[in-house]
Amino acid sequence: MNINQELIERYHRDECTKEERKAVEDWLFTDDFAEELDLPIGENKTEHKASIWNEIAPVLPKERIIKSHLFSFWKGAVAASFVLGLIGLSFYPLTLKTKNDSPQLVSIDNTSAISVRHLDSKGYNISVGPNTFAKINYATGSVDLSGSMLISPKKDVELKFKGTDKKISLKMGQTYIILNGKTGEDKIIVVSERNLMDLPPVLQKQIINQFSI
Amino acid sequence: MQEKTIYKSVKKVILLLAVAILSLSIYSCSQKHEHTSVLGGKNYSIYILGKNGKEYIIETNALDSGKILPEKQGAILDVKTMDRDIIVKDGSYYHLNRKKAQLSKYNIQNDSLYTIASIPLKDFSIENYFWAGKDSLLLTGLDIKDFTQTKYVLIETGKMSMLSSGNLAIPQPSGKFTSMSIGFVELRKSHLFIGYTYHQQLSSSNYTTSDTTYIAELGYPQMKLLKINKDTRSTYPGGINTVQSYSFNDEQNNYYFMSCPGIALGNRPDLPTGIFRIKAGAESLDKDYFINISSSVVKNHAYGMWYLGNNKAIIRSERKDLFKGLGDHYSTAHFEFYLIDLAAAKVLKKLDLPLDKGTRRECVIVKDNIAYIAVNSSTKGNFVWMYNVETNSLKKGLELAGNTDFIMRIDKLNP
Repeated sequence: MNINQELIERYHRDECTKEERKAVEDWLFTDDFAEELDLPIGENKTEHKASIWNEIAPVLPKERIIKSHLFSFWKGAVAASFVLGLIGLSFYPLTLKTKNDSPQLVSIDNTSAISVRHLDSKGYNISVGPNTFAKINYATGSVDLSGSMLISPKKDVELKFKGTDKKISLKMGQTYIILNGKTGEDKIIVVSERNLMDLPPVLQKQIINQFSI
Repeated sequence: MQEKTIYKSVKKVILLLAVAILSLSIYSCSQKHEHTSVLGGKNYSIYILGKNGKEYIIETNALDSGKILPEKQGAILDVKTMDRDIIVKDGSYYHLNRKKAQLSKYNIQNDSLYTIASIPLKDFSIENYFWAGKDSLLLTGLDIKDFTQTKYVLIETGKMSMLSSGNLAIPQPSGKFTSMSIGFVELRKSHLFIGYTYHQQLSSSNYTTSDTTYIAELGYPQMKLLKINKDTRSTYPGGINTVQSYSFNDEQNNYYFMSCPGIALGNRPDLPTGIFRIKAGAESLDKDYFINISSSVVKNHAYGMWYLGNNKAIIRSERKDLFKGLGDHYSTAHFEFYLIDLAAAKVLKKLDLPLDKGTRRECVIVKDNIAYIAVNSSTKGNFVWMYNVETNSLKKGLELAGNTDFIMRIDKLNP
């Protein structure tokens, strides 16, 4: 059976048949999966492996990234480490309560003064800026942010920001810049990356530098 | 066994496809060259941001009527490398690709952006450009690490070769100030005037600016610092002119620039937006000349200024009663256009146009007594309006329809 992204996602959502589930689990626990891995034509597996490792290696010991799952430990741990590992993330599952389809809460505390942390989760691609704390609840769409981040949702979403009643609609596939200061006086700024030039040049330069865009 | 056979046939198909694609590319390349030679230069270019985040450049000969759908008539741009901070001149577009750290010269061929030539431009963030000659482009900018070191490059744009480059001796930010901005560049024979100011970062979403407008005078082309002029009537002189215009010379070579302390540039809203002048032949600011925009009938901050001729100018001002902050400053239609009499140093009147959206836009072209003004209305569509300077009349011209969200800039593509 071919193990592909769609199958892994269904596994994640607990929608697999018995056979499919077994195939995924067998595959997860075998070392040699070269035959089944569906890479796009022309993509080199060794390069992928190396780039994934390069992305994970420097962040693994330093980060305080907490992710809560609401489904059983093994399924969560195995599927999440695969999905996240594959796309080069530094998540670590800690608490697991009930059975559910996806991580409900992502909390990132990037204490680095220079580097940006990139996350690719089921709902969003996220880059978190230096000295930034971000907590996103996928179920309610509420965001607690102090600092800066880039977010690119995989479907149209509406986000609510802690401390305001303002709802902000984000369109699928577009990238948004979100800024929020650490003090109450600083207002939340949400701007599409395509409107970067509309931000004050001082903030533009800071964002361009931080996120290398 | 069966899998292996399939694997082999897939391989064959890939090989065949590769050959087919290669032949197609060679064919289209040869087509392109034939096509180029028959292309004539269009008069104007229009830069569009679409509703779905796609961007387009449209070239056209007329702005006074008709309707254009960018998705049908425009060249679609690669938004990863292109943005609207461009310099448009004589049929070509110049843009700094930040990731590649190179400045490229482009034109539109076969409905797509074609790179004519590029030049490396490392550790350089463009603040202001100035055409020192027909083919010599002077760029002033800052280092990309801290934005504290002012620098320049002089480029011959025919072949895109570097004529000279170096750091400028303008003092770096000190004390509480963390970065700086260059807001205008003006060359008068052997004297180069550079307007600038300093900023202080307060948080990831907040900063402030010094209360002082600085003007450095440098010997050109040696770039030796001669003196620094200071003025505290307003701050953040000009702005980044690859995105919007803030200065010009009149027919007598009096130089005018606007200061922008509003939240979109200096973030010193306590200071007024104003228009300054350096008189023809003078080497420093005219201390007796200042048009206070914020205390005039405009009663707001403004960003952007364009010369109409005969001592008249147009400014683009915000409406603080209509937006909440930086988060909706660009998406809410709240901008108005006012007519300024530079000789009488006063605001004449508001132009009867729909409220315009977009914090910063290059949206005015002046030709033969007509000011073409691109307006993005939330309710009345995206149009180029024509203001007749002589008869004082306003008329709707070209419509940008279809996928258009913002007309981001309109430029004179060819003289």
